[in-house]
Amino acid sequence: MYSRRQLLETAGKGFGALALADLMQAGPTSVKAPHFAPRAKNVIFLFMHGGVSHVDTFDPKPSLTKYNGQPLPGSFGEGLITSRIDFRKALMRGSPWEFHRCGQSGLEISALYPHLSDCADDLAVIRSCYGDAFDHAPAIYLRSSGSQFPGRPSLGSWAAYGLGSENQNLPAFVVMSDGAMKSGAGAYHSGYLPAVYQGTVFRGGKSPVLHLASPEGIGEKSQRETLDLIARMNKRHFAEREEDSVLDARINAYELAFRMQAEAPEAVDISKESEATQKLYGVGEPMTDDFGRKCLLARRLVERGVRFVQLYHGTNIGDDWDDAHLDLHGSHTKMCKKSDQPIAALLKDLKAHGLLDTTLVVWSSEFGRTPLAEGKNGRDHHPYGFTTWMAGAGIKGGRFLGATDEFGLRAVDQPKTVHDMNASILRLLGMDHTKLTFRYQSRDQRLTDVHGEGEFTNWLLGA
Amino acid sequence: MTLRFLVLSATLAAAAPEQAVRILEKNCWSCHGPAVALSGLRLDSRDALEKGGRRGSVLKDDLLVRAISRQDARLVMPPTDKLANSDIAVLKEWVAAGAAWPKTTQVSSAKWWSFVKPVATPNASVDAFIDNQLAVRKITAAPPATKRTLIRRATFDLHGLAPSQSEIEAFEKDASPKAFETLIDRLLASPRYGEKWAKHWLDLARYGDTAGFEQDPYSLYAWRYRDYIVRSFNEDKPYDRFVKETIAGDELFEDPEAQQGTGFYSVGPNRDMLYKVEDVNRIESLTDFVDTTSSVFLGLSVGCARCHDHKYDPIPQRDYYRMQAIFAPFQKNRVFLHYNNARGYDLAENTRNFKLYEYAAEIQAIKATYQAAIRKEAIAKFPKDVQDAFHASEDERTPTQRRLVEQFSPRFNARDNEVMAAMSAADKERLRRVEQRIVGLYANYQPGPFSPGLTDVGRESPRTYVPTKGVPPPGEEVGPGLLSALGGKDIPDPPLTSLTTQRRSALANWIASADNPLTARVIVNRVWHYHFGRGLVATPSDFGSRGTAPSHPELLDTLSADFMRDGWSLKKLHKRIMLSAAYRRSSKPAAGTVDKDPENQWLARYSRRRLDAEEIRDAVLQAAGTLNTKMYGRPVVPVQTPEELYGMSQGLGNAWVVTADKAEHNRRTLYMISRRNFRMPLLEVFDRPDGVLSCSRRESSTTAPQSLSLLNSKFTQQQAAALAETASRQSDPARFIFERILGRVPSNDERTMTSEFLAKQTALTSSAQTALTEFARGLLNVNEFLYVE
Repeated sequence: MYSRRQLLETAGKGFGALALADLMQAGPTSVKAPHFAPRAKNVIFLFMHGGVSHVDTFDPKPSLTKYNGQPLPGSFGEGLITSRIDFRKALMRGSPWEFHRCGQSGLEISALYPHLSDCADDLAVIRSCYGDAFDHAPAIYLRSSGSQFPGRPSLGSWAAYGLGSENQNLPAFVVMSDGAMKSGAGAYHSGYLPAVYQGTVFRGGKSPVLHLASPEGIGEKSQRETLDLIARMNKRHFAEREEDSVLDARINAYELAFRMQAEAPEAVDISKESEATQKLYGVGEPMTDDFGRKCLLARRLVERGVRFVQLYHGTNIGDDWDDAHLDLHGSHTKMCKKSDQPIAALLKDLKAHGLLDTTLVVWSSEFGRTPLAEGKNGRDHHPYGFTTWMAGAGIKGGRFLGATDEFGLRAVDQPKTVHDMNASILRLLGMDHTKLTFRYQSRDQRLTDVHGEGEFTNWLLGA
Repeated sequence: MTLRFLVLSATLAAAAPEQAVRILEKNCWSCHGPAVALSGLRLDSRDALEKGGRRGSVLKDDLLVRAISRQDARLVMPPTDKLANSDIAVLKEWVAAGAAWPKTTQVSSAKWWSFVKPVATPNASVDAFIDNQLAVRKITAAPPATKRTLIRRATFDLHGLAPSQSEIEAFEKDASPKAFETLIDRLLASPRYGEKWAKHWLDLARYGDTAGFEQDPYSLYAWRYRDYIVRSFNEDKPYDRFVKETIAGDELFEDPEAQQGTGFYSVGPNRDMLYKVEDVNRIESLTDFVDTTSSVFLGLSVGCARCHDHKYDPIPQRDYYRMQAIFAPFQKNRVFLHYNNARGYDLAENTRNFKLYEYAAEIQAIKATYQAAIRKEAIAKFPKDVQDAFHASEDERTPTQRRLVEQFSPRFNARDNEVMAAMSAADKERLRRVEQRIVGLYANYQPGPFSPGLTDVGRESPRTYVPTKGVPPPGEEVGPGLLSALGGKDIPDPPLTSLTTQRRSALANWIASADNPLTARVIVNRVWHYHFGRGLVATPSDFGSRGTAPSHPELLDTLSADFMRDGWSLKKLHKRIMLSAAYRRSSKPAAGTVDKDPENQWLARYSRRRLDAEEIRDAVLQAAGTLNTKMYGRPVVPVQTPEELYGMSQGLGNAWVVTADKAEHNRRTLYMISRRNFRMPLLEVFDRPDGVLSCSRRESSTTAPQSLSLLNSKFTQQQAAALAETASRQSDPARFIFERILGRVPSNDERTMTSEFLAKQTALTSSAQTALTEFARGLLNVNEFLYVE
């Protein structure tokens, strides 16, 4: 932050009005130059919370159907452990859904995603993701921060730290979920990065940010009066301490808070959107209303310069992808119905607004689900091979990368870790993952730690 | 140029061998010398140069010269700073001339500064060192702070609370030259001191009341460790003793109070209740123990050496695993605070469980008859196909019937109120009697006399291996040992009669020793850091070469030596530091000094600081007059609004069990529950660390969400209303509020401002009382309240 005096001095030396406005906002989240020309300015990360089955969505495995009801052959199941089932004993289960070749590219997508199938030519599918954590919380931490232990900054925090935000009246990193995250809020924390880079949760309703609304019974005029009292007291205090820019920064923080009180509710007011747009996202329809609103909000936030929007789908107790333990068919039918149309709408709408070229959309989950049945009707957690897809940001869609083995167990062709994915995401944002560092505990810490050599940006861009 | 170069080389040639070896000694031997040979390389004899390390002889292919002249980005030595060009020239010449070793070499083994024992400068005051640096740098010191400023500073530093107005006035009136010393003595003698400083320690100990991860289970007795820390500070437990209790309290002391120190290893995040990943958990715990112990007590980040020889500090990978071997036999345990009571508690719990199984069965049996009848009745109201599905035995059901049962079954489960409505008076009476018996079992229920601790599985330990590239798994076996760069030796086997390996005792005695060059320096620097906002070493948990060099090395050494001489007393150390003129300076810098030292590392002024998260909450309660100063005990779960509780990984019924006694909710923040998966938003937003990794230095950010929370949260509203309520019974309510929050009388201007504000707000809200509350809410947000200077 700059003190007023510094500003005036700088202004006197011939800075234009625009530069002055920029300086006024210079702070931890002001825009920072990337390492090189970026493909994407913003990210919308769609996290399917609880674990989506890869073999029922984007990674067809006819062998599972062929050998339905049989145990895995030979030593395929050796060395794998997960939450509940035993890989040596459980039986293979074919997908109850058919796969279709979609779009011009003929990318295979299951019948669970009729709307998204329309966007097949935009999706770059990575079928060979893998990790080593089979419980939700560690796996979510791993996918968000690169470590299965909590305490490290999440991808969104690194993006905000590295690039700042285009809009100082809104947070740089916004999170939307339904609350019951299996990882707790650790999934979008800033870890050892300053708290300002932490994901700010946007909630439904008119007061999207915590403590945004004035106290009950205090109208806007009254709130302004109280803020003026604070400002007057602070300015008197500051007059004798002008050398301390932190005090000035706090004076500004109260003004920013006041501006947020005005701007944030407007940003989330989707009644401003046309009926057609709302309909596209499925707003107003019982199954799609919730996630449709979130996806629509994501577009509105990106439009307003929010750097990173993280949406979690399925974070209600008893309403998440993890219900597939007992009921694969029921859970995946329901969860896809809730998210398919909104996600497809988001891609289409971003495109229509000319935002898809500069917005990276990532769809992922903490892990896939076992190709083997859990009980009669379920699938268990499966981190050893699963699927992620990306779109936008100049990515060439309609293609897939890598492969799991014949039974969808292990990523065998071009296996990709979370570090490879994060390195690629940072690259698309114009940052070199080995150079985005923060000194903590005597190390120049990185999102990708010492990994990320499997970065696949070139493949994504079709280069 | 040419001429100068020639002259230079000519001089060099003469003195080359001695000079070259002196350069090696000064810059290289700490990592490639007698004590430590990273990468297998030593540079302290001609033979060693010839032999080389993993890359072969350093004389071959110009390896030495290439490394020091940084021609290859993968081989850059020394890793910290490039050698002076003149030194590089000397070494180049010397190698080119055949690298002759001087005939007489005294091995004086130049060491990294923090690896040499601190020596006190005799008869030197704290200020002597600081004033000396200010004079050298021509920085004018700020004048002394006013007494009002000073008492507020000292009280927040030692208590984390504001002084009361009467305390301020008494101190201002005390004209004795010893007034400030008396004040410090009073503050140090108060139990509030231990509460404030415990929090510093708990940051380092990554303390939490839950274990973390999805289920975030309670660490039921963690709070006993918190209370032990509060007591340790209040009793001024000698720090060397405290270190021993922490690392090996179980082995070194019989007193259970002392054994509680090992809770340091039990209160961190863990997955102890995720049984399938026990092997990973054990490794993660060992990593946490080694890293946390070294960074907290020795200020060394050994973590890098887990995968390879440390690249910056003289810590070979082997040393890392010798240290890990010290903890390899660990086992978490419960410290019995009183043997008979602890045993009695377990026995009672055992019997209680047996009885509960029986009572629960009895209740279920009483209800079962009614539940069955209700269910039958409900099924009978449904179409025949549903009825048939339910009447069919499980094996004979068709797929359709199975689906019907699955679909409708939950609807037919009798609700408890239906069961109770149907129940006969006799059964109700039976039920009541059983319930009474259950309640009876819990009438005096409370936590047992346990504290979380650590001990060994026995005298034998699992083995430890160094995972090394090129060596087949599991790698080379190593035994327990202490860091070789600090002269640490192997730890011998314990006597045959020992119940533990006594490895941690060896570590504890080695760390808590006046011979260890780091221990005293590290804690002294931490205390300095907490008083001044910046340590003499600005990286309090890193005294290695990646850390910051000390600004006043002799001062740090003198304080450290004196600290040990004073019996490792922290209270004496506080006093020594706080009585210095440097501590008592105004935060208003003398004209023109800020540019010379923007970070204030030369201490010409006092660094203004924002209150930390806990201080803000405590100070608000204190100003409102609602602060409950009760000490110790189970963590308190205060009311939070549903919006504030957002994001919890477990249902609130289990994860946020609000403390029934409302008076508890206004206790100091130290006693509020610290869940690993959830920080109270007001604390989180003001940079309270998350308790996952050891935190030696908090952030102090300035953000708009902070303003929103302190301005609009229910907490602020309630406290402002409470203060306004008390104020309304005073003769001058507005002045009362002003003095409570800011600890001073308002000026005339401020009085005018206040009346104008109250008039406007009264008009806007149609309530004089609301206007007063708004006044309080406003003042709780001003910088004068939020900063210590």
